[in-house]
Amino acid sequence: MDDQADVVVIGGGSTGCGVIRDLARRGLDAVLVEKGNLTHGTTGRMHGLLHSGGRYAVSDQTSARECMEENRVLRDIASHCVEETGGMFVKRPEDSEEYFQQKLEGCRACDIPAEVIDGEEARRREPYLARDVEKAIAVPDAAIDPFRLCVANAADAREHGARVETHAKVTDVLVEDGEVVGVEIEHDTGPGKRVHREPGTTEEIRARYVVNATGAWAGRIGEMAGVDVEVRPSKGVMTVMNTRQVDTVINRCRPKGDADIVVPHETACILGTTDEEVDDPEDYPEEEWEVDLMIETLSELVPALKDARTLRSFWGVRPLYEPPGTGTDDPTDITRDYFLLDHDERDGLPGLTSIVGGKLTTYRMMAESITDHVCEKLGHDAACDTADTPLPGSDDFSVLRDYMDEFGIRSPVGRRSAQRLGSRADEVLNGADPNPVVCECEGVTRAEVQDAIEGAGSDLNAVRLRTRASMGNCQGGFCTHRISAELAQEYPGPVVRDAEDELYQERWKGQRHALWGRQLSQAMLNHMLHATTMNRDGDPATTDADVDFGAFDAGTGPAGADGSEVDDATTGVTATDGGLDGDR
Amino acid sequence: MTRHTGNDDTDTTEESNGTNGTERHEEADDGTPAQPTVPELGRDEQPAIFVPDDDEDGTTGASAGDETDPRTATDGGVESATGGSDSGDLSPDAYDPIDVFPEGDLDLRDGADSCYKCTSCDTSCPVAEVDDEFPGPKFQGPEQWRLKRKGDHDIDESITSCSNCMRCDDACPSSVPLSQMHNEARGQFVEEQMEKLSVEYIRNRILANYRTSARLASMTPRLASFAMNFGPARWAMDKLLGVPKEREFPEFATTTFREWWRDRGGAQVSNPDKRVAYFHGCYSNYNTPEVGKAMVRVYEHFGYEVLVPPQKCSGTPMFANGMLKDARRHAETNVENLVEAIGEGADVIASCTSCSMSLRQEYPELFDIHGIEDVSEHTFEALEYLRIHEDLNGALADARPEDEQAFAYHAPCHARNQGLARQAVETFREVDGVTMEDVGDSCSGISGTYGWKSEKYEKSMQIGEEMFEHMEDADGEVGMTECPTCAMQMEHGTGYEIRHPLQLLEETLVA
Repeated sequence: MDDQADVVVIGGGSTGCGVIRDLARRGLDAVLVEKGNLTHGTTGRMHGLLHSGGRYAVSDQTSARECMEENRVLRDIASHCVEETGGMFVKRPEDSEEYFQQKLEGCRACDIPAEVIDGEEARRREPYLARDVEKAIAVPDAAIDPFRLCVANAADAREHGARVETHAKVTDVLVEDGEVVGVEIEHDTGPGKRVHREPGTTEEIRARYVVNATGAWAGRIGEMAGVDVEVRPSKGVMTVMNTRQVDTVINRCRPKGDADIVVPHETACILGTTDEEVDDPEDYPEEEWEVDLMIETLSELVPALKDARTLRSFWGVRPLYEPPGTGTDDPTDITRDYFLLDHDERDGLPGLTSIVGGKLTTYRMMAESITDHVCEKLGHDAACDTADTPLPGSDDFSVLRDYMDEFGIRSPVGRRSAQRLGSRADEVLNGADPNPVVCECEGVTRAEVQDAIEGAGSDLNAVRLRTRASMGNCQGGFCTHRISAELAQEYPGPVVRDAEDELYQERWKGQRHALWGRQLSQAMLNHMLHATTMNRDGDPATTDADVDFGAFDAGTGPAGADGSEVDDATTGVTATDGGLDGDR
Repeated sequence: MTRHTGNDDTDTTEESNGTNGTERHEEADDGTPAQPTVPELGRDEQPAIFVPDDDEDGTTGASAGDETDPRTATDGGVESATGGSDSGDLSPDAYDPIDVFPEGDLDLRDGADSCYKCTSCDTSCPVAEVDDEFPGPKFQGPEQWRLKRKGDHDIDESITSCSNCMRCDDACPSSVPLSQMHNEARGQFVEEQMEKLSVEYIRNRILANYRTSARLASMTPRLASFAMNFGPARWAMDKLLGVPKEREFPEFATTTFREWWRDRGGAQVSNPDKRVAYFHGCYSNYNTPEVGKAMVRVYEHFGYEVLVPPQKCSGTPMFANGMLKDARRHAETNVENLVEAIGEGADVIASCTSCSMSLRQEYPELFDIHGIEDVSEHTFEALEYLRIHEDLNGALADARPEDEQAFAYHAPCHARNQGLARQAVETFREVDGVTMEDVGDSCSGISGTYGWKSEKYEKSMQIGEEMFEHMEDADGEVGMTECPTCAMQMEHGTGYEIRHPLQLLEETLVA
């Protein structure tokens, strides 16, 4: 056999990253291909809840148990991605007492540590909770950073010999003699790290086995291979607040419904969510009423949300799946369990398995079971160790270090850096001068940005996911150009400009859904600053077309009346961009 | 806005007998508290506002949220003083940045919502201008707060370099509660992170508690004035405590203002319709009683009955040094006595712009003492109050001082924050024989205790440089300002005699 790899994994979300890590650690030669950045699809578009399982304790106890098990595992192996916030299911007067009891019993039945606290105690823990919250069940929910989690999984996979290709879209699944033998991919900018303006290439990767871990997109890959995968994508909106109103995950204790959770995530709170089936995971309406609903409904739990500043909103699509014949109409009724679809057994097409359903909290468990499955198929005998081996960054380490003295960074910045980097803090902060701080909102040091560039090429969105730079209240208004300046140390001007535009665009995209009040003021200030200091409202240096300076009139004035005495070209240059510096 | 400073307050609670939470709630049921009339005496030792009594009818909480001033809206002090009432109403106004963090610390993270990172605060900061190590108010305030999580106790040490001039408050176009954030962060830093046996802490504690030292010194004023400026003693203070030997301690008055007031037999005018309670502060009492006397004479000239309630330090130097517990102790006495005076129909008048600043802004922003909002609303600076209620220009139209005089006037930063930067110039510009020249909008650099620290002395003088130059350029050879420590700095930098506008008013109107 002249296969280039043992396994190709399609999809760089939590599942795909978990699978590639597991495969690599078991000694298989694996390639991960992802059409965007890691977490590009659903993983990067969730509220960051590490479930205790409490959420499913009534409706889906199998999932609930799995969540609790994996919750314990991730606190251990992914400690630098997890913040142990704790969670509560709070009951308002109009919420059913019966359901509250069911929830409590459900938690106990699923081995989820649960404690009933009265309203007063709940407000002592979270003072912004509504005054009429009657009581709550405290559970070990936590917050998890899906970006860091995926990056760490991919990094560990690489260390164990895997190849990870982002911005590599699968254009075809190779089927030969009734068997899947690989994929054809299109590199956005050539293989390896993404670098803007490098020409795209196509590549065929042949492999002994292909794993379709594309979640909501699984049907599309299935189509390429000629099999049906009936994923039912369901969209949910999430709204990001500028600050943390709560430091604990707040769930509404009622059977099901929209807008029933607030997750403290890094510097922000994320409100979620809705659940509505859509036809196309990439093309669905993002509607304002959904955002309004979040704020309106959740301020019944945390009234301060009503007046608080929102940063942006985003939508994600769940890769819900139900076995054929279940016939559920309401997506909230569809199980959150995951399914392994072996297309050999199912469709008589060997060489391909799809994994659908599931959720981030159980990503590792899903990865383990699919890796077991692949190993069995390939006759490879190796044990899984991902439940016990910390991810890079989550090794034992002490955060009690004084980064202020050691690296000359301010203590809140040092604390945030250490929280983000975990056990990699020393290595990264020693790698480059951490000062000046590049992103002030999130306290991101120069060293972190440089480290991320090293891992992500010229892709500043990937830098953002690794560092959180530009994710604070100015949404990149004050730091996009600084981050780009770091990029400029290694890459040529045009590449940097493209990367800068792309990041700024991405930041703008999410803000469009939160443009009122203070974030609108922020956007306007950003725009004015960028327009007046960097000519970003129409910099001739960034347009490909030649500027027709002759089209500018000569202006009014003693000499300009008939234009005869003024050199049009000269006037044009000065008026438009104020000099030639912009080109350098 | 709720601050529970914990156990050190409990021993004093009993003094305010009969004014516990229950009685206030009964008052709330009458629907009266919306009226800013006569608050009860005493302290609010309620737990945080979120524990409603079942029988409350929900009329009080929302009504107290003052919409006119975003700063009050942020802190909503009166609401917390009423113990929290409504429950059905889910208005976000009813929820304060109450103690989210342990030990009753304030949670000011939501203040970061107003920040657009525009950096106006940083460019207005006099310390950042001369101190490259100081990251500036934006970092100290909204950025540092936004990065905070519950349980975090690592305020950056640079907060101790903030001089609390509060110019950032004035510069911010978006009402970020900068100085409140700084005060609270500094308080948390000093409480949690500062070594209590360090020379710096001890020195700062002494500086912050100027009233204590001044009271002792005033028992033997001449000896104290001599000893405090005695060369070897100053050398030792510099070396051991970090109090710069370059500075001259102010002289202590042989008769304090309060002694004078007692000997004089108190008020000479009785007028139930025009009453003011004078908050003289420590400096007018122990060092410059002539300012206090001028206040009394000017106000009596206009027919006011002056009350001089018992009082302690306004807290300004304590805030600047993060000694929030000390400040709260003093505030309890002040609020209790001033509230009583307000109940008798008086408004509170301060002759020091930092004292009025503290009573007006910092008190309700940092403490939840009952009645503190009333004190805040009823406090004015001495000249400001006369300009509001009296025809000062009319009274000054025919008046003139004995001799022609020219002054180099410096507006203190804290006066600027209260919108009073131009009041002295405007008051005296039509007066014959008085030339009042504004020396510009720079900070004097001393900022209360900031310039009294050896490690800050040079920077303090660098900040003051612009003011010194402008004073030299001005015609007048006498300085004028409302702030006692600005006066020290002005004198220190130029050798000029420095006077208070009230003294000139007294000389022009009363003499």
